[in-house]
Amino acid sequence: MTSRGVDVVIAGGGVVGHATAWELARRDIEVLIVDRHLPGRATSASAGGLWPVGEAVGLGCGVIYQATRTGSDSGDAVPASLPAVFRDFLVESNRRFPELAGELEDLTGVDIELDSGPGLLFLMQTARQQAVVDNIARGLPEGFVLEILSPEEVGELEPAVCREIVGGALLPGEDQVNPMMLAEAYKRAALVNGARFQNDRLVDEILRENDRVVGVRMGEETVACGHVVNAAGAWAGQLAATAGITLPVEPVRGQVVLTQALPPLIASCLSTSSCYLAQKRHGEILVGSTTEHVGFDTGVTEEGIRGLCRGAVGAVPALADVGVKRVWAGLRPGTPDEMPILGPVAGVDGYVNVAGGFRTGIVAAPLMARVTAQAIVGETPDVAIAPYRAERFEE
Amino acid sequence: MSTNPSTSTEPVGSEAPRLVIVGAGPAGMATAITLAERGLAVTVVDQNPHPGGQIYRYPAVTPKSPPTPDRGAALRQHLAEHSDRITVLTGHNVVDIHPGPRLGLCGPDGFRIVEADHLVMAPGAYEYVPPFPGWTLPGVMTPGAAQQLVKSQGVAPGRRVLLAGTGPFLLVVALALHEVGVQVVGIVDTLRRRDAFWQLPSLLSDGKLLKQGFDYVSGVRKAGIPLLTGHIVTRAEGHERLKQVVVAPCDGDWIPNHSRSRPIVVDTLCVGYGFVPRIDLAQLAGCELAPTNLPGGWIPVTDPWGQTSVPGVWAAGDGAGVAGAIVAELAGQLVGLGVASSCGVVSSSEAERSAEPVRERLRQLGRFRRGLDEMGSLRPGLSQLADESTVVCRCEEIRRAEVDAAVSAGSTTLRSLKVATRLGMGPCQGRMCQPACSRRLFDLGCNTPEEIGPPAFRPPLVPLTLGQLAGADEEPDDVEPAGAKPVAEPAP
Repeated sequence: MTSRGVDVVIAGGGVVGHATAWELARRDIEVLIVDRHLPGRATSASAGGLWPVGEAVGLGCGVIYQATRTGSDSGDAVPASLPAVFRDFLVESNRRFPELAGELEDLTGVDIELDSGPGLLFLMQTARQQAVVDNIARGLPEGFVLEILSPEEVGELEPAVCREIVGGALLPGEDQVNPMMLAEAYKRAALVNGARFQNDRLVDEILRENDRVVGVRMGEETVACGHVVNAAGAWAGQLAATAGITLPVEPVRGQVVLTQALPPLIASCLSTSSCYLAQKRHGEILVGSTTEHVGFDTGVTEEGIRGLCRGAVGAVPALADVGVKRVWAGLRPGTPDEMPILGPVAGVDGYVNVAGGFRTGIVAAPLMARVTAQAIVGETPDVAIAPYRAERFEE
Repeated sequence: MSTNPSTSTEPVGSEAPRLVIVGAGPAGMATAITLAERGLAVTVVDQNPHPGGQIYRYPAVTPKSPPTPDRGAALRQHLAEHSDRITVLTGHNVVDIHPGPRLGLCGPDGFRIVEADHLVMAPGAYEYVPPFPGWTLPGVMTPGAAQQLVKSQGVAPGRRVLLAGTGPFLLVVALALHEVGVQVVGIVDTLRRRDAFWQLPSLLSDGKLLKQGFDYVSGVRKAGIPLLTGHIVTRAEGHERLKQVVVAPCDGDWIPNHSRSRPIVVDTLCVGYGFVPRIDLAQLAGCELAPTNLPGGWIPVTDPWGQTSVPGVWAAGDGAGVAGAIVAELAGQLVGLGVASSCGVVSSSEAERSAEPVRERLRQLGRFRRGLDEMGSLRPGLSQLADESTVVCRCEEIRRAEVDAAVSAGSTTLRSLKVATRLGMGPCQGRMCQPACSRRLFDLGCNTPEEIGPPAFRPPLVPLTLGQLAGADEEPDDVEPAGAKPVAEPAP
């Protein structure tokens, strides 16, 4: 059975897929979002941290990733930085959130729970970490602020934090949203602008005729379309393969712990080399996140949860007696260079990536979606997408 | 795990299989007894201080409690007779189930991991109470909660009590309350006499059970408790505490005729419309679930022996589909035979032979049960009782109007409603609100049950602190094979 065609099919209904759908729909493009819930989508297990510089210099969940990857003692893990061009991409995307929050709320009534605190506060536990952080601070260009705090200053800012630290590194303006509400707001905004949402299907196959995409197959049904946007998150590599495209996206599991709702306990987003913590709008504290290459396994493990809980109690001792409401896991769409994969692919007309959000998918979503839509309609993109094209992996 | 549990059994193979049963109600007890009779050692995990489950809660309320013979006492007696093979871990809750299966257990001594070769889930069911105006007032509770107050704590739930809802359980609880001196002012059942009449052919399929039903009714009559059929409680009223209940006659769709409603002054309302199977364990164990049209909707898919889609994980009793204590006990026997056969201690032909009379009895009961289910099957009027301001999710205090707004905005699955409204985000994980909510989505014609989806349960199933999880299972040696350390269970 073949349905009437559409301009664009978006495969994947996480935050990035919905954001792209909205950016297209508001440009009067006919959009069909296709998604069926699969356990483990990254949007559902994200802390919603908007930590552009923090993630770029490796003081967000990157330092945990680094500790896991190098096998070093997590207490002494040293962050690694992402390229400056991507840091600036993240900063630019993050800059748009206040206006975006208002716009989405006006359009949909959904509050994305954009909350500002002192910023992202990295807790330094060893002298070596302090040396590296000092180095990062020196390396940041004009206009970027990274405040080095003494243990006493950390205590004044965050009385609940453990005092047995070397100091803190504060990135002001690095805040948080509710990732689920962000995805929901984008979805409703897209629907308001005329997008359609097929919520019980997956794109099983991208259909090609020679060097161009002609449609998608969802089970028995095929839909003709001019463009297919691959927003399939951790599953993007599998989907690309159906069009003969190699996309190095791999699931990277992140287990998270959510506490019961608490009165205000931490105002900043806290980060250490074993976990990060963010208190959400309704009082729960989200503790994340493991980084594991275990395929599409979305289970939680005793070791994973234990490590996060130890890290959290180490950073904020009062949490020891706090109840855990839920633990679960999501699959980040990981890429080899930790940067997203955007834009068209040479030799397959009509195919567009908006994939590989990895650990910055929430903060990057507004700009990822925008430049993707701009590429499809032929507008000049706000930010050059060349560094993010899939072709970079061919060299 | 290389630890070889020392048990008194001689099963086929070099190592005794590690068998864990969760739930010591009729299904769990019957499974344990069946396995012990075949020479296998089992560990039974239950959250209560004594085996028995909700239906056979120990101690029983009074010895003259009519008209059920105390089947619970008999099962407990059998358990005790097999104490060399059956270890009962009372006061233990399942926190999580990992592949293996490995169970995270929380008990009086803290958190620990138990490994099993076969896991039998017999968690039972909980009562179905859809939201209606005033249902969150103190003084409104489930019949089961009232029964538990009386049985376990010797506390009367109130002075003037009304029971409402549907099903024979209302009669059982009414009698139990009456016996301890509580004034039961009436039983309000949505079922009309004529609806029951049409089910007589099914009900006549089991004379003994039908007689038991009539005995309940005549017990209620003898006690002078008014039985108001074809009526529904439309609201509970009071300021900070229940003062009165409004009752109206209802039609076959349970739609009340408000013009004929009247108040009844009570301090306690016990309301329940049947039972919802507990599927949280099955979901954590990764078992495939299937929708049904009974309250709660979802049950694990099982083979004829009760094995789920996950090999080595079995389901028995009301948690696998509510059918009552007698059926649960028989289902437990079947699962016991299935597990014993899987462990190689009975041949498959012997298992078939032993199962045949059990299956025959289940077939007979099946007809009776279908009659009961048909009578008690939920009608659309029930999901229309709540008004705009009625709280539908008690944990997060979400009102009907908020849910309706989200539904109109396109949130027509439990998952999307949760995102949009926080419905089910609280400590109960949606146990209370989601069955009624999915029923309403279905009645509104939004989606099929498959699309609406089952509630998504996540660990921990019982509250644990970060400190407990941080310190849990520090040494790998803490992992213990089920059945390794028999714990003496005091004879009930």
